[in-house]
Parts: sequence; C-alpha cells; structure tokens
Amino acid sequence: MIRNGILTVSTMVSVVLFPWPLSALLALAAAFLEPFVPLAAGLFADTLYYVPGSGTWPLFTLYGLVCSSIAVLVRSQLRTGTIR
Amino acid sequence: MKKTFLAKRNALLSSASVSWGAAALTFSVLALLLRLLAPNLFLHTFAPAFSVADAIAAQSHRFFSSFSGAAALAAQNERLVSENAALIAENAALEQKAASVGALADSQRSSGILAGVISRPPESPYDTLVLAAGERAGVMLGQEAFGEGGVPLGVVSSVTADFSRVTLFSAPNVVTHGWVGNAHIPLSLFGAGAGAMSASLARAAGVAVGDTVFAPGPGMLPVGRVVRIDSDPSTTTVTLRIMPALNPFSLSWVQLRDVGAALRGSFTIATSTL
Repeated sequence: MIRNGILTVSTMVSVVLFPWPLSALLALAAAFLEPFVPLAAGLFADTLYYVPGSGTWPLFTLYGLVCSSIAVLVRSQLRTGTIR
Repeated sequence: MKKTFLAKRNALLSSASVSWGAAALTFSVLALLLRLLAPNLFLHTFAPAFSVADAIAAQSHRFFSSFSGAAALAAQNERLVSENAALIAENAALEQKAASVGALADSQRSSGILAGVISRPPESPYDTLVLAAGERAGVMLGQEAFGEGGVPLGVVSSVTADFSRVTLFSAPNVVTHGWVGNAHIPLSLFGAGAGAMSASLARAAGVAVGDTVFAPGPGMLPVGRVVRIDSDPSTTTVTLRIMPALNPFSLSWVQLRDVGAALRGSFTIATSTL
C-alpha cells in the first residue's frame, strides 16, 4: 500500500517538476499497481500545459485513458482467474 | 472435494478502502475544475511548483556537468554557443530590417512587454510556454513572443490576469507562413514538436543546408536554420528539417509585442493558435 502511494505521488509530482518522458515512464510503472494513475497523470499534465484551440487534442489525457483502460482490463482478467 | 471459493471482487477498486489511483484522479479532476473556473488562481497555485522545477533543472544540470571535470568550461562553452546563436540571429534580423525600412519603422514604434518564463518544454509537453505576465501587464491574445536577438518564438494563445501561455511555432499542428534562404522563397512551416519545424518545398527551389528560415514579425525575422534536407527521388519536393534559432528548453524570458492588426490578421490565417 505504501509502495503504491509513493509511486502515485512520485508520478504526480514528476508531472510538474520533471521532463514529461520521465513522468510517462513513472505512470506506466504505476499502472501495474494503480491502474488509474496514468489517466490521472495525463489529465493533470493537460490541465497544467494544454492550451485549448492549439490545434491538437489533449493527447496526454487520451494516452492515459488508453493505458488505464488496458491496465484495468488486464487486472480484471487476472483477478477473476483461478490461478494467481 | 475441493471447495471453490468465488470472492466477489471489483476490478476497478482494490480491496483496500482507499485507492491511491482514485485519489490521484480525484486530485486531477479538482485541478481541472480549478483551471476551468479560476484559471488565474490555478496558475498562482502552481507557479511556485514551476519555480521549484526550474531550480531542480538548474541543479541537475550543474550536477551532471560536474562529472565532466570541467564544469566551468562547459558552462562557458554553453554560454558562448548561446550568445553566438543569438548574435547570428540578431545579425540576420538586422540585415532584414535594413532591407525593409517600413518594417524597421514598425519595430521602433513597439516597445514590448518583458515576461519571465515559468514553464517551458520539456516539462510542458506541447511546446508551450507559461509566462508570468498577464492582462495586468498588458498582455493580449495574438501578441508575438520574441526571444534573445529578436527571434520570433510563438504567439500568445491564452491569457489570465497574471499569467499567459505562448504556443511556439514548433508546436505540433501549428502552421506558420515564412520564407527561406537569401531568395526569400515563401514556404509553410509545420511545427514538429520539441522546438523543431519542417517544411515542404519544390526541389528546384535550390534550398541548401544552413539556409536561414524567416517568419513574419515586424519584417522578416529568423526563426531557425535548415539542418537537413530529406529528398525522395520519386517526388518533385523535398522536406526541410529546421532547428530553431533559440533553444526553447532554456528560455528564461521573452518579449511580447503587438505586431499590428494587419500582421495579426496574417497570423490568424497562418497559424491555428489564435
């Protein structure tokens, strides 16, 4: 639980403090433990830096959504299995 | 007989009462609401964090430079390279201004607003700058941002009371009309992200590596240099790879200037940032 917390907080702090590739890497790592973290980090990054009307989609939210969806799907498949 | 145990589980939430991921998502949604409802307060809240990010970037740069054993030399070299790039850009700008007296008169009329950069790429992933100057300092939508040496960088795309955002010409999907080379061949510059731009041009135009690329400002101002030309023998066009005259990753201040209604109109057509 503490490990999940540290990874989650590190990812969110990284969005503000560090270059985005590092944040993306942390979010991917956190997805194994907390599937919502990529979506949260992507949404937070777009909240900080995205400018509406700049001609691009809020890509980080979309990437985070895709990553979180995959993580949730994989976790649900693993959890309902008989073998752990 | 083995007894089957079917525990009821929720795939979205862990067995613990509180999920860190859900808490992070809630935080992000609250931050988004704050930005939508009170954008100025939002930037006031996060401006100190941006300052910390700046300090960390400077410290880490110093730390990694120390491994070379010649940190001072590296810093001096970096400073000289930066100054050289700025001087080259300034020189090219002056040449253009000398050739265009009308544009020079326009540039003398405008004084500009000096604004500090509080967030820049690569922390900001969309090639945008967050500036510590907003409506109270006289910043308006559509003003052009200039860096050291008068290099055009982008256009103000969002303004709050105390802060503003500049979308760089290198931002993805941004199109800017410009010129290349001594012959001032017109071309469309496409933002490629991370400070880079690209453009397509007829092979017969005769553009070479090292040619200067200009964008509209008061006159023609250098925005970058052709560093590579990708050519496919089966087509009549070539793709120019353009690096910026100023590194957006190390910008610490910009000057914002209103480039005039006529020019702003051409930017509206040329870019999708307004």
